[in-house]
Amino acid sequence: MARHHTPDRDDRRRPPGAPMPPEGCAPTGPEEGAARGLVPAAEALPEALRGPASLLLGLYVVGLVLCVAGNTASGTSLLIGTVKDRLFAPWMVPLWLDLGHDTRLTYGLPEDADHHLEIRLAGKQAGKGVGQPTAALRLPAQGDHSERATRWRRLAAAAVLAEEDAEQAGVLPAAIGAGAFAAAGADDLEIRVVRSVPPDYASARSPRITETALEVRVRRRDGEVHLIPMPPAEEVAPLIDAASAPGGGN
Amino acid sequence: MGQRSSSSVGVLAAAAAGTWDRFWFTPTTAGRLAVVRALAGLLGILLAWSWAGDLDAWFGPDGIVSPQVLGAWRSPTALSLFDVARSSAVLWALFLVGVGLLGMLAVGVWTPIAAPLAALFWASLLHRGPMLVGPADDVLAVILWCLVVGRSGDAFSVDRRLAAAEARASWRNGLALALLRLHASVIAAAAVVAQLKADVWWNGTAAWWLAARESTRIDLTGLLAGSEIATNFVTHGIVLFEIAFAVGVWNRWTRGPVARAALVAWPLIGLVAGEPMWGAAMAILAWACLPDDSAAGTAGPPL
Repeated sequence: MARHHTPDRDDRRRPPGAPMPPEGCAPTGPEEGAARGLVPAAEALPEALRGPASLLLGLYVVGLVLCVAGNTASGTSLLIGTVKDRLFAPWMVPLWLDLGHDTRLTYGLPEDADHHLEIRLAGKQAGKGVGQPTAALRLPAQGDHSERATRWRRLAAAAVLAEEDAEQAGVLPAAIGAGAFAAAGADDLEIRVVRSVPPDYASARSPRITETALEVRVRRRDGEVHLIPMPPAEEVAPLIDAASAPGGGN
Repeated sequence: MGQRSSSSVGVLAAAAAGTWDRFWFTPTTAGRLAVVRALAGLLGILLAWSWAGDLDAWFGPDGIVSPQVLGAWRSPTALSLFDVARSSAVLWALFLVGVGLLGMLAVGVWTPIAAPLAALFWASLLHRGPMLVGPADDVLAVILWCLVVGRSGDAFSVDRRLAAAEARASWRNGLALALLRLHASVIAAAAVVAQLKADVWWNGTAAWWLAARESTRIDLTGLLAGSEIATNFVTHGIVLFEIAFAVGVWNRWTRGPVARAALVAWPLIGLVAGEPMWGAAMAILAWACLPDDSAAGTAGPPL
């Protein structure tokens, strides 16, 4: 019984019906060419290394999956967190590979809105300067679409988000204030993070709503930086009943 | 009976091993990986540029991201070359060397050395200011480490022009491309999973929330506000595309069309989402997912 012949790659490249090349003609494929020293042979992984390489790759794939599962905004289980932190984080974190990749783009929540940082003079100098203190600390302008502006927006959003974490709360606002003292030429600053929240789809024609997400006063006294939380205006403003106020109720 | 089942298990195991081998270790020419290298180098320079304007304000001796801030933000196992920069001069020197490495990667100069050092620089930069890092930075870090594995300097590079011997197909290129494809799929799948936790991706209004932000690069608000169906279409289109990409790159019939579509779709999504660099980084990953004819020609059909 004649064996079925599987055409090799050179046969496939040859047009149907074309005559077989005679001995001594130019090679038509990499292996054939390599055998004659004209085309370099492919560099294959030595057989002895395939096992160890496969083991390492398998470990890496497990690490990748655990990193994705262990870095979600929803949190992670103790089991996954422990395995990842013990076995994979020590070498994946330094390489910046311990990533969740949970790029949600938006959840339609206020924290997904664009955040802006504002720095103002506080205390006795309040009202004398607003916004960008000096050229040494140039905050991006409103409507700046550059990647640099995006990083400042991330910083502002991180400062707000960190308020929910006991270890990180207040750290960034204090650092932003401390970093701005020299630029502002003042030791008493007001740091505000303002976010520009898009309207609901139901009221799509309405303008964006600007709201203050974080407002603190950062002051330096005797070399120490003090962080003074500033409650929202509606919490400190006196409520005046129009009827009982002097001159009211007419 | 027992013999037959054990032999069929053996056949299956051999087939699985063959598939595994073909996927990871197929010798491949460097062309496709070299394009990834050049694009990643250029993207790295663009992203690095966005750090440059505020390098002192963030990481300088009196910068915002002080060691105390890092202590609250960073994992204890994290390391950064920039931690040793106690002066502005050293900080800038390290930064400019890093940008130079990305430039060397882009044009392929001393690629075997430039690739790992550029990846190290990038990881160090991100560890120096983790709260400033965005999804494009993350994806670029992944791409740079994958490039370390391959021989991306063997094509479209200064190294290639200066080399005496002809470049040959290498298993290292196949491995690097396989890693890039794996990450491309995982990143898209993780994005879908993250998105589908929120109502706006189910009720079809997520596109509105993206487009109505100040940071969006394409103003679709007029179009979307006028048609809820269009808003739903864009929202569901993004999710369906991400699912198709995550799954489609694993099938030999769908891989090419999905990867080609992704070259356009990822940048568009990035623009709408206000993350154009992320879109560009994902497009680079999509390029790495395109079927490689040279691999098929040297060691059988890839997955």
